[in-house]
Amino acid sequence: MNFPILSVVTFLPLAGAILLIFINKKKENHLRYIALGITLLTFIISLFLYFNFNSSTPDPQFVEKSVWLGYGIKYHMGIDGISLFLVLLTTFLMPITILSSWTYIKKRTKEYLIFMLMLETGIIGVFVALNLFLFYVFWEAMLIPMYFLIGVWGGHRKIYATIKYVLFTMVGSLLMLVAIFYLYSAYYKATGTYSLNLFDFYNMSLSPGIQIWLFLAFALAFAIKVPMFPFHTWLPDAHVEAPTAGSVILAAVLLKMGAYGFLRFALPLFPSAVIKFLPFLVVLSLIGIIYGGMMALIQKDVKSLVAYSSVSHMGLIMLAIFSLNTEAMEGAIYQMLNHGLSTGALFLAVGILYERSHTRLIKDYGGVSKKMPVFAAFFLIFMLSSVGLPGLNGFIGEVLCIFGIFKANKIFAILGVTTVILSAGYLFWMFQRVMHGPIINDKVQSFKDLNKREIAYLVPIVIMIFWMGIFPNMFLRKMDSSVTHLLNMVNKKEATVSQTQKGEDLLVKIDDQALEEKNKEKEEQTR
Amino acid sequence: MNSFFALFPLLIIVFIALAVLILEVFLKRENRDYLAYISLVFLVICAFVCIQFWNKAYYYFDGNLLLDQFALFFTFILLLSTGFVVLLSMKYISLQDVNYGEFYALLLLAVSGAIIMVSSPDLLVIILGLEVLSISSYALTGLKRKDELSSEAAIKYFLLGSFATAFLLFGLALLYGASHSTGIPTIIRYFNTETDLSLMALIGLGLIVIGFGFKIALVPFHMWTPDVYQGAPTPITAFFSVVPKAACFAIFLRIFYPFWKTAFDSQAIFWLLWGISVLTMVVGNLVALRQTNVKRILAYSSIAHAGYLLVALLAQDNSSLVFYLTVYLFMNMGAFAAVIALSKKDKEYLELEDYSGIGFKYPWIGVTLSIFLLSLAGFPPTGGFLAKFYVFSSAVRQGLVPLVIIGVLASLISVYYYLRIIVHMYMREPSREVDIVVENPALFLVLFLCLYGVLQLGLYPRNILVLINQAVSLL
Repeated sequence: MNFPILSVVTFLPLAGAILLIFINKKKENHLRYIALGITLLTFIISLFLYFNFNSSTPDPQFVEKSVWLGYGIKYHMGIDGISLFLVLLTTFLMPITILSSWTYIKKRTKEYLIFMLMLETGIIGVFVALNLFLFYVFWEAMLIPMYFLIGVWGGHRKIYATIKYVLFTMVGSLLMLVAIFYLYSAYYKATGTYSLNLFDFYNMSLSPGIQIWLFLAFALAFAIKVPMFPFHTWLPDAHVEAPTAGSVILAAVLLKMGAYGFLRFALPLFPSAVIKFLPFLVVLSLIGIIYGGMMALIQKDVKSLVAYSSVSHMGLIMLAIFSLNTEAMEGAIYQMLNHGLSTGALFLAVGILYERSHTRLIKDYGGVSKKMPVFAAFFLIFMLSSVGLPGLNGFIGEVLCIFGIFKANKIFAILGVTTVILSAGYLFWMFQRVMHGPIINDKVQSFKDLNKREIAYLVPIVIMIFWMGIFPNMFLRKMDSSVTHLLNMVNKKEATVSQTQKGEDLLVKIDDQALEEKNKEKEEQTR
Repeated sequence: MNSFFALFPLLIIVFIALAVLILEVFLKRENRDYLAYISLVFLVICAFVCIQFWNKAYYYFDGNLLLDQFALFFTFILLLSTGFVVLLSMKYISLQDVNYGEFYALLLLAVSGAIIMVSSPDLLVIILGLEVLSISSYALTGLKRKDELSSEAAIKYFLLGSFATAFLLFGLALLYGASHSTGIPTIIRYFNTETDLSLMALIGLGLIVIGFGFKIALVPFHMWTPDVYQGAPTPITAFFSVVPKAACFAIFLRIFYPFWKTAFDSQAIFWLLWGISVLTMVVGNLVALRQTNVKRILAYSSIAHAGYLLVALLAQDNSSLVFYLTVYLFMNMGAFAAVIALSKKDKEYLELEDYSGIGFKYPWIGVTLSIFLLSLAGFPPTGGFLAKFYVFSSAVRQGLVPLVIIGVLASLISVYYYLRIIVHMYMREPSREVDIVVENPALFLVLFLCLYGVLQLGLYPRNILVLINQAVSLL
């Protein structure tokens, strides 16, 4: 048995949270340094994943598997080229968010840090779990710290926002849970053994009729999380009311969980249903792109402007995923990382402004760049990254996405491109109103430029923005085999299902090889 | 093995109940705590006896009292919850002025009735046990003599409870008329062998369901629950929310499990239970949304949980039903313990408004209560999630998909009102002056034992599951 690195990365923050419980809450700086240290350590350990990642195989790596509760419920973790970078994104952003809330959070620092660390465990767990039970446990458990983060440290309408967030998410995930039960029982009926292993479900072909229902349940859960168009209403509320760090994590990582869910579960498990619903999904993504962008244009509040820009950007990512080709898929994953960095950074910038003036309305600002020139430079870089300036990370992702979408359908690509135009519109306009012009507000007059701590947490993001823009291959090549494998799986399974007859209501086919392996495992267990 | 030993647990409990009643006369009012200690010691001894008997299967009175592993497991659950209730009562009864000697005696007599219920395969004996349980319960409800709500609750409980008993006896009479026996195995054999079932037998069975459904608080037989839960002294409410439910579900298992297993050609009873289950889950959770009194919220929540337990019964998965009950015992007792903690001399804080800002003021109570509520709502990684996982997954395996969808949506509704309590505790500023008596080690012991139970059952329940599987394999 090798060193259980994934467990360490996942549970180290939780261990840190438990450690914090025993520290006197009056010693706020001790608490902050410990939390920062833990998240930094987690990041450093997670870098090991990147350097030891074998990019030639699509199989999950660093696998840990052990019996947990029986009846197919196993402790099973592993990462491939898709989840690797999402884990890294999480561990990278976590120390930054802790630093960003150093003085922003003034009351109940101890509890705040505990919830942040718990949140990190939950998020990483979602990305590394390969057993559906384990996945669901993390998926739901992660809601609790987020619920407290918004509800306790949020703005005026925090209670409304946090309850809405939890209830929206739970509608989807509970129906997904029923679908998981269905898969679980279908597998049991077909083979006589219990399993919740994702790869066992990959090898199982369900009849198209059943796939539709199961897909709808999974897709609803993930579409709410992304959020796709009609299910997005929780997002502006949650984003606006959450404390800065909460918004950063929400935008940068939690939204990715929805897209990741589509990639990991909905597409490979139910390919024929995906094909059937494809036009529908594409239209929803397009509406999301245009509607999100339009809404962002008219926002008076900086934070909700960035929130709606997320809806628009995530729409492009979903459109790319549903184009079902390698370029678009890799572009989508790359764009997920970019969006995490640039939108996260924009929220940080808004948070910096808010901490100084305690207002988020655009009209209260103006001329900020005169008082905060360094900040203006950072803000500009983040914005350009979000818009997709060549040389920065956003460009690579958007180009790949749009190339891929173009290959699938030219009209969609043309409509999809509007996201870039719209985002240039609302971001530049906002920048102009906030940063330039005369200083109208007295508060702005007294603004101080960034302090060392603020520069310290913004610089790593800028470095990554340039790095990902200049050396995309360092990231893209690690995804290649996983993405190709995913697409093969979708296409192959779709083909086999459409060939088989539609007579039976529930048709379960297991690959011979997989069945043999299963039997062997069973024999070993009986021994 | 036919042996007098089968009576042992029961005798211990009844003996100590009577002893407590006599001792009370000789004890000064300040020393009444000793009664609690004595009761506790003997509850533990009794639980220990149960463990010793695990592999023995003693029976007595021609098998009308049968201590098999099933009965022992349930007896253990009942003793554990009674132990918790005794611990919770120690400080409470002197603070709230219900410090009467008969408190512990009635409690022990009530649990002796429940033990009779779970350890008999004969409906007549079961109804006897139920009466012992019920009559003690009526008296316990009204113990707050100076409180109008308490007396009102006692009268309501008594009147409606008598009706329920009448239903049970009438149902039993009809069943006896059809099958010529009061023993559950014979009645089931009658249902299985008779090709042409008489309507009389079916009605009898339906009446039995109604009678027990009343005690479990299934909708539409739940009307008494919120009032009684609110009026009764809070530890007794905790007792009501677990003990009668556990005992009645044990009997449901004894009756219905063999039904499902063999060809039962009438689907009437199945659909009756299906409908009751849906109603219970939906009504329980919906009405809870409107409550502002925490005891009433927990009352409706316990109604809803009875609905989930019925899903397990319909899914024919005994072990997940028993597992759910075990988890439910810990999370519900824990929640009530936290509610009891928020009280002082002659005053209990029960309105939601009182809970504002409690979480940061009393961190341990806040954290533990939040975990119990999250567990009741079914969030992982608590026992409540795993229990729902087992119940609903086996229901899907039985093809009850619509029932499960209704169930999970009902539990979504429940998330709202459980979170509402947490919202008050953590996200609102304190609006009223709340100061509580903090020194109460017995209560904190309960809180931490329940916390341990909820987390252990949520993360690694294998040992308990092995025991449960042994116990239910006898059905």
